[in-house]
Amino acid sequence: MNALYEIIQNLTSYSGVSGFESMSFQTLCPYIKSLNLFDETGTTPVGSFYGIIRCGKENAPMLLLDAHLDTVGFVVTELCDGGFLRVAPVGGIAPKILPSSIVNIYGKKTIKGVFASKPPHLQSAGESEQKMDIADLSIDTGLPLEELKDIVRIGTPVGFPCELQKMLNDNLAGASFDDRLCGAIILRALQTIDKSQLNYDIAFQFSGNEETGYKGAMTTAYRLNPEKAIVIDVTHANVPGAPDVFKDIHAGKGSVITLSPQTNRAFTKQVISIAENNGIPYQLSAFPIRTGTNSNAVQTTRNGIPVCLISVPLKNMHTMSEVVNLNDALNTAKLIAAVINQKEQSND
Amino acid sequence: MIKYLKKYCDILAPSGMEDALRTQIIKDIKDSGCTYNTDSVGNLIVFKQGKNRRNKKVLLSAHMDEVGFMITKIDDDGYLRFNMVGGIDRRVVSGKRIVFCESGIQGLVSSKSIHMQTPEERGKCEPLTEMYIDIGATSREQASKYVSIGDCAAFMPNYTELGNGLICSKAIDDRFGCAVLVAMINSQLEYDTYFAFNTCEEVGCDGAKVVAHFLQPDIVIALESTTAGDVAGIPENKCACKVGNGAVLSIMDRSTIYSKELLELAVSAAEEKNIKWQYKNVIAGGNEAGVYQRAAAGAKVLAISAPTRYIHSQSNIAALADMEAVAKLSAALNERSFD
Repeated sequence: MNALYEIIQNLTSYSGVSGFESMSFQTLCPYIKSLNLFDETGTTPVGSFYGIIRCGKENAPMLLLDAHLDTVGFVVTELCDGGFLRVAPVGGIAPKILPSSIVNIYGKKTIKGVFASKPPHLQSAGESEQKMDIADLSIDTGLPLEELKDIVRIGTPVGFPCELQKMLNDNLAGASFDDRLCGAIILRALQTIDKSQLNYDIAFQFSGNEETGYKGAMTTAYRLNPEKAIVIDVTHANVPGAPDVFKDIHAGKGSVITLSPQTNRAFTKQVISIAENNGIPYQLSAFPIRTGTNSNAVQTTRNGIPVCLISVPLKNMHTMSEVVNLNDALNTAKLIAAVINQKEQSND
Repeated sequence: MIKYLKKYCDILAPSGMEDALRTQIIKDIKDSGCTYNTDSVGNLIVFKQGKNRRNKKVLLSAHMDEVGFMITKIDDDGYLRFNMVGGIDRRVVSGKRIVFCESGIQGLVSSKSIHMQTPEERGKCEPLTEMYIDIGATSREQASKYVSIGDCAAFMPNYTELGNGLICSKAIDDRFGCAVLVAMINSQLEYDTYFAFNTCEEVGCDGAKVVAHFLQPDIVIALESTTAGDVAGIPENKCACKVGNGAVLSIMDRSTIYSKELLELAVSAAEEKNIKWQYKNVIAGGNEAGVYQRAAAGAKVLAISAPTRYIHSQSNIAALADMEAVAKLSAALNERSFD
């Protein structure tokens, strides 16, 4: 668990608001390279990082592991008097979590800001019941406008800083677990496999632009041209007030394997039996229409790529306090490693 | 003053749970030559002899407590239901980190994620009854090993510098006032002075009621954080006061019309010592001065405040220069005999 925690700590410390993933490459790429897992690494024009483990055989088929690198966030739309910024959301963010929240503003240098809240003396009765709009909120930078203009311009990305907080039962809170956590899980899984036994290549794509239309996944999968792919993302765990469809997905009860028209049923069933055979806990979820992940983008790349979607239950998605149970993360890493090992044996 | 401020901001002391802060303040003043006592409701009352006596009993007052959260129910699945201790806008709590006072257990104020909201719910902040605190427990039984009904939490300590000379932290309201008083107690005073570090201001100025009765002061100066509305989109005449424009003097708020005589003295002291000051330009809020004014046989009261944005949230923002101005102005004023 410590090895995984360390990777999570690293991966969540880099910026990477959707569309601005390349801002993280300078720190992210050297870190992933330092893990010595990959024979080749690279980045793409659409904000993805990828790494390939070669098995050494010519024209070997490839298994692709996908997680997404980008996170939800904001872009600056206006610089206002008094050092305030107006922003537009990048990805789905509930306005109710924003007032008094601390953000990083990734300008010429990274500065902190605080989402302003309306002073109580200016609030009218019943105002708390009304809808909020992010366009009406502002970020307080504490800097004079002139000084702010030197650091920030329209289009500068803004994101939640990640401060990890350990909770009971191996629960961990932090920001950008969607989907850096799953990147960490893949890296951890790859640390545990015996590379000398591989008879096919393994690629990891840390895709950009997921939150804003899956663009990194479709283009990077195109480039890598794998035979099969596993998409690893987060999914909603049950919480008080959750809609019925999420009520049976519980944090701490294992990886979530999704059945959907946007994933490959045969491959998915194979993964389920691998979980069964290895005693790895899992839960099933059904997405009859869209999975809201990279699965469809990867599945429809080139001539079609069979995809299995494995998800990690997460609470408070798209907030600065996403919560994961680390046992679920570890079990997901185990499941990925087991799938890789199984493929070795079956020469599938 | 600043060295005390950071230390005090990081201590957990929601209303009714001020013990840790009071212990720290006592440590910081006990070698100053003052005398002090703690009363039955937890207030810390300090007397420091000055070079001279004066006819009037003068009290400088700040409150120790901060806003927070109290557990009201533990759900079967280990989530904690809560209510606010003091006035917190429910729209500033969702997703925020908190810590329970005695156990040190960390939690998150949580509510449904955006994906779980129905189209009508989108953009809205749900009522408190639909929010909960998550500590990671999975059953009532397990949660009960760590916390119980009535336990109190505060926002997670997060003191940090921001922008140009600003401080961002929980509880600048009113740890800043405590820090100013402690610095004064540790300085040489012109006149004998009383100081009060009060409990339970955020839930109705209860501590001050007891102090007022006990001391029966003639003159009270309350040191506070007052809400600054100088944020984007708020017109000038509704700002109340502005961060960076100096110590705030209130003429009138919802509980007090301040002593004209003390206000004039304060303005002349500020002008004399070249201390930046501003009037609060809206009639809003209230503080312990209101209690002192009407307690026992009554007192003349004044409030000197630091303009503070986003009070009663995890991110109070105030300027170091303003806080220094309040410290200087209250010290300058306390050099008067008030005869």
